[in-house]
Amino acid sequence: MISDLLSMTVLVGILASGIRLATPYLYAAIGETFGQRSGVLNLGVDGQMLMGAFTAFYVAIKTGNLWLGILSAMVAGALMGLAMAFVTVNLHAEQGISGIGFYLFGLGLSDLLFQKLLGTVETVKGFPKIQIPFLSDIPVVGEIFFRQNVLVYIAFALVPVAWFILNKTTLGLKIRAVGENPEAADSLGVSVARIRYFTIILGGTLSGVAGASMSIALVNVFQQNMTSGLGFIAVALVYFGAWRPWGVLGGALLFSLVNSLQLWIQVLGIPIPSDIAVMMPYILTILVLVATVSRVRAPSALTKSFERGD
Amino acid sequence: MKKFRLLVTVLLLLAVLLSACTTQEPAPAVEETGAEEPAMEETKEPFRVAVVMPSSINDLAFSQSMYDALLTIQSEMGGEEAMEIVYSDGMFVVDDAAAAIRDYASEGYNLVIAHGSQYGSSLQEIAPDFPETSFAWGTTVDTFGIDNIFAYEAASDQGGYVNGVLAASLSKTGILGVVGPIETGDAKLYVDGFVAGAKATDPTVQVNVNYIGSFSDVALAAEAANTHIAAGADVLTGTAQMVVGAIGVAEESGALWFGTQASQTELAPSIVVANQVYRWDIVLKEIMDLIGDGTYGGTSFVIDLANGGEVLEFNPDFDIPADVAALAEETIAEISGGAVALQAPKFEDVFQVAVVMPSSINDLAFSQSMYDALVSVQEWMGGEGAMEFVYSDGMFVVDDAAAAIRDYAAEGFDLVIAHGSQYGSSLQEIAPDFPETSFAWGTTVDTFGIGNIFAYEAASHEGGYVNGVIAASLSETGVLGVVGPIETGDAKLYVDGFVAGALATNPDIQVNVNYIGSFSDVALASEAASTHVAAGADGLTGTAQMVVGAIGVAEESGAMWFGTQASQSGLAPANVVANQVYHWDVVLKEVVQMIADGTYGGTSFVIDLANGGEVMDFNADYELPAEVKSLALDTIKGIVDGSITIVFGE
Amino acid sequence: MSNSNQEKWFPKLIDGLLPVFATIAALLVGAVMLLLLKVNPIEAYKAMWDGAFGSQNALAETLVKATPLLLVGLGICISFRGDVINIGGEGQMIVGAIMGTLVGITLVDWPGWAVIPIALITGFIGGAIWGGIPGVLKAYFNVNEILSTVMMNAIAVQLMNFLLRGPMIDPSQAEVASKIPQTARLLDTFRLPRWVPTRLHLGALIAVVLAILVYLLLWRTTWGYRIRAVGQNPDASRYAGVKVRNYIVLALILSGAFAGLAGVMQVYGVNYRMITDGSASGFTGSAGFNGIVAALFGGLHPIGTIPASILFGGLLVGANKMQRVVQVPSALITALNGLVVVFVVSSEIWRRRRQKRRLAAASPDGEGIIPVGTDQGDTSSKEKEVEL
Repeated sequence: MISDLLSMTVLVGILASGIRLATPYLYAAIGETFGQRSGVLNLGVDGQMLMGAFTAFYVAIKTGNLWLGILSAMVAGALMGLAMAFVTVNLHAEQGISGIGFYLFGLGLSDLLFQKLLGTVETVKGFPKIQIPFLSDIPVVGEIFFRQNVLVYIAFALVPVAWFILNKTTLGLKIRAVGENPEAADSLGVSVARIRYFTIILGGTLSGVAGASMSIALVNVFQQNMTSGLGFIAVALVYFGAWRPWGVLGGALLFSLVNSLQLWIQVLGIPIPSDIAVMMPYILTILVLVATVSRVRAPSALTKSFERGD
Repeated sequence: MKKFRLLVTVLLLLAVLLSACTTQEPAPAVEETGAEEPAMEETKEPFRVAVVMPSSINDLAFSQSMYDALLTIQSEMGGEEAMEIVYSDGMFVVDDAAAAIRDYASEGYNLVIAHGSQYGSSLQEIAPDFPETSFAWGTTVDTFGIDNIFAYEAASDQGGYVNGVLAASLSKTGILGVVGPIETGDAKLYVDGFVAGAKATDPTVQVNVNYIGSFSDVALAAEAANTHIAAGADVLTGTAQMVVGAIGVAEESGALWFGTQASQTELAPSIVVANQVYRWDIVLKEIMDLIGDGTYGGTSFVIDLANGGEVLEFNPDFDIPADVAALAEETIAEISGGAVALQAPKFEDVFQVAVVMPSSINDLAFSQSMYDALVSVQEWMGGEGAMEFVYSDGMFVVDDAAAAIRDYAAEGFDLVIAHGSQYGSSLQEIAPDFPETSFAWGTTVDTFGIGNIFAYEAASHEGGYVNGVIAASLSETGVLGVVGPIETGDAKLYVDGFVAGALATNPDIQVNVNYIGSFSDVALASEAASTHVAAGADGLTGTAQMVVGAIGVAEESGAMWFGTQASQSGLAPANVVANQVYHWDVVLKEVVQMIADGTYGGTSFVIDLANGGEVMDFNADYELPAEVKSLALDTIKGIVDGSITIVFGE
Repeated sequence: MSNSNQEKWFPKLIDGLLPVFATIAALLVGAVMLLLLKVNPIEAYKAMWDGAFGSQNALAETLVKATPLLLVGLGICISFRGDVINIGGEGQMIVGAIMGTLVGITLVDWPGWAVIPIALITGFIGGAIWGGIPGVLKAYFNVNEILSTVMMNAIAVQLMNFLLRGPMIDPSQAEVASKIPQTARLLDTFRLPRWVPTRLHLGALIAVVLAILVYLLLWRTTWGYRIRAVGQNPDASRYAGVKVRNYIVLALILSGAFAGLAGVMQVYGVNYRMITDGSASGFTGSAGFNGIVAALFGGLHPIGTIPASILFGGLLVGANKMQRVVQVPSALITALNGLVVVFVVSSEIWRRRRQKRRLAAASPDGEGIIPVGTDQGDTSSKEKEVEL
């Protein structure tokens, strides 16, 4: 039975599934990376995702226009990001806790809106799978990578874009400076507040898209608490990836691949108790991190609020 | 001397007077030829029956039902030498009827039947005058305490209920029409039953009822039927003799007809679906036996589905879909078995119900099934004026749920439902503190031996088995996939049943089972389904609210879906084949009835295919091959009658 | 002199009440939401008040809800002082509960007065282990505690599912077709004593006593001092010879332990068995997260956390009552919970500003920050160290 795992169908299945599963984690974690690089911890990602998921679903069902749905999800996420930014930057609230507050708010509000505006569970015709010409015909690789829906492609494309912004642009420099040493950045004329506003809102926007990628692309349905804690995992993955976009990609892939592996294990009837199988991605993530003991430090100002004149 | 003479004269006079008096009474009776022995077995004298009825003996309704019954008995007894029947029909004028009754009685008939509730007060006067005559009066249960009156009635609401179930199932417009005479007695009972059955089957169905105010106005009845049709009804029913007008209209417009009292099939064989036929002979036989034993009255009888006094006759020329027919059979069985209380009990005050559940009321699964059931029970009780219910959903924190349950009980709710197996411990603490409150707990069968806890459970493996049978029959790849939440409780029961059913149908079939470890992770459920599809499954099933993710994948990949707990057909109409739908209202109705009778708990209930608490609902939009359909129906039947036992292997 | 004394307590009172004002502000926003749902806010909030404090039973319920909040909050006070974020409370509660329950279902022949303390201590240890693992991972492997605690939470849930439907399942369930994943019921003698018509149990009292002990720990022992020192300034502490690593681990162990105690307390004081619905919050009631909020309400001070837990507990209990009375979806209650957290957390800024102004007025150089090393052991130390 374990040998079943090594068959081509299964391996391809695991990889394709892993790529798909990784998508929402990627959007949310990349967004969170920007925020954390600038020194802000946002634990409310899950709530932003749920608001994004609902908004996208609702707009898509009512207008039939999926891209409008994505746009609305971005707006919803951005609004929540705006609120988080205000609370964090202007009111200097304790970030970990305010994040949890936003999480609860997003969780409750999305549920409430769903009950009042839609009322029943239904499906939507979401983003279809796209076969990229030529590439999708490559045996094995084609099936895994090049037959996914457009949001999957965008998520992966975000990684090099994020890397580029953070490491090769002035904006990125400013973001990193604000995260490492806000006082110094401030004295150099960088507006810490503005940078943080930018990254937090960007993070919210991307979280919104992460939610939308679930409700109108991957699963094509909305249900209360459909993210089921995914946002928290995404935040954790930022730490795993050492605040680097490529590292975050690695973390998202590792987590998702192990997740899809455990699904296959169950499907193939390999006798591991279901609960133990479900634990695998979490345990493995920790083990990998332990094994790759690194000297990477967090952005020094992470979770510390900044006040001018301190 | 003189005194003695006087005394003897007086005595003699008295004797004459007395004998005159005693011979006076039987005098009228003596006028026929000695047919005083009512015993039918030994007599060479025929048993003589007279019947007075308000309409014609071929009214295809009330009067015909009695006349046909008499003819049946007569032929069973051996014809006219054994039993003599005379009748006076068209006696709608009560006074004339009274005269006829008195006359028959004085002519020495053994049994005089006053077939019409309007004849009651007349009978009350007449019967005491003829203590050797047996009278029978219907439709009623009142014998006035007079010991030579039998009363008889029809539980017409029962057949009405079944007709209603059928009507709601067959209606395409969702609108039904009823043409009634006057809102009273047997007619009202039938109509109420019809409405109840329709609503129980489809709470959204609209039933328009029109009492035309007359038992005889055929034209008016036709007009009422026209009105119904114009309002969109595609199925009609009605009771009493004037319905023939309505049946004609139904035939013209192609609406379906359901009959009662007698078979109305011959009037419109293309549109009559079924009739509740009264078999009064069941009652008459008993009456005649009693008369033979010397009892002339004092008992009341009811004909119903259980004793065969009411029979649901299907029109053989009408093609009923198999599942609807099965539904009807089930319903009849339920009613006969007493599982369905047709009339809701009445409470002094508004009956108050509170329910605590772990997920949302629109989760298309566990919690929704209870919420829908409560809505249906509320309807059955008579609407918000009779029953109120409140709920606390999303109560997955056991502690909060416990607080809610305790609070509702303290607030004086009559019934508090703890809809979640995780609430048990809390209930065990709370229930003893509130002995006047009734609690219901599911899914489980454990009442903890506490007198005010009802327990309820679903035999979810039964529907799982049926789903498995269908899935294995339809699968072309020979691979099926199951997406479950956590391997426990109701979920595991369902899954085990599904696997058993699939293997029983095709021992080589492969059923891959995946428990994703959560009741809510929709994305993971979706991914699990994708995994199944990639592994070759062309048929999927699952249970609990996160399956909506899996259904989406099924739709996308073209795999079949089999649902449970609630109907998921709407989510993927092209892919959902069948659903095992929970009808908790079957249990709830019994609970309410027991509460009305003063029992607040101590019993556990199981909903299953036999009692209609679980119903296999086939997706109308999915074309099921005929042989698979009949295999499914046979499987259901087998489970219900016990010929199929579900064995969990592996 | 008496003047400044008076000045001292009144502003501090306002400071202490700021979370209350913030809560009221949040409830006002909630009122708007209620109006949109066509519910009368006055009726709703009256129900909330009644549900929280309006009767003896309500008050008892509030205290029952507050107990895990207080315990988790105490742990949070410790860990935050050590500059360690512990969001693993949910998992730690679960593991503590599992281990404590194991004691109760195994030692069935032992007397209650022995089993209860053993169980509570076992739960304490269980939580300590579950908190210690992320602690060790952070101290020795540089694995960030946010990542590890989030992962450990998920692992704990699956562990609970596995154990409760397998090895630890109630034997009477094992024969039933649809098994409920729950343990056997604890013997009557193993239950924490209750104040009988209500659900208020001894755990509440134990928690308050522990609060005092934690206060003493943090301000009157070397361990406590070092935890705070490491949290305030790890480099300086390292120079001073404090083994920083160890104290990071200690902070997480202790905070995990208190969460574990909260978990086992729930089993022995409220539910009398462990039962799962597959989620963490089904058992914990999100006390692992809400405890963090309660600690913040209380200014991250163990004594302050006592009234904070009661108020926050009252809010949660009252909100559920409100749901029942005006029949709003419980989703609204969740959103309201979130709003309160956000508002209260945001109100901190005013508290700090006010304190800074006061300290600036009082201290010589006008800066208002007193360096590490000073150990005054009274509530004024709260003001100095809150600049986290």
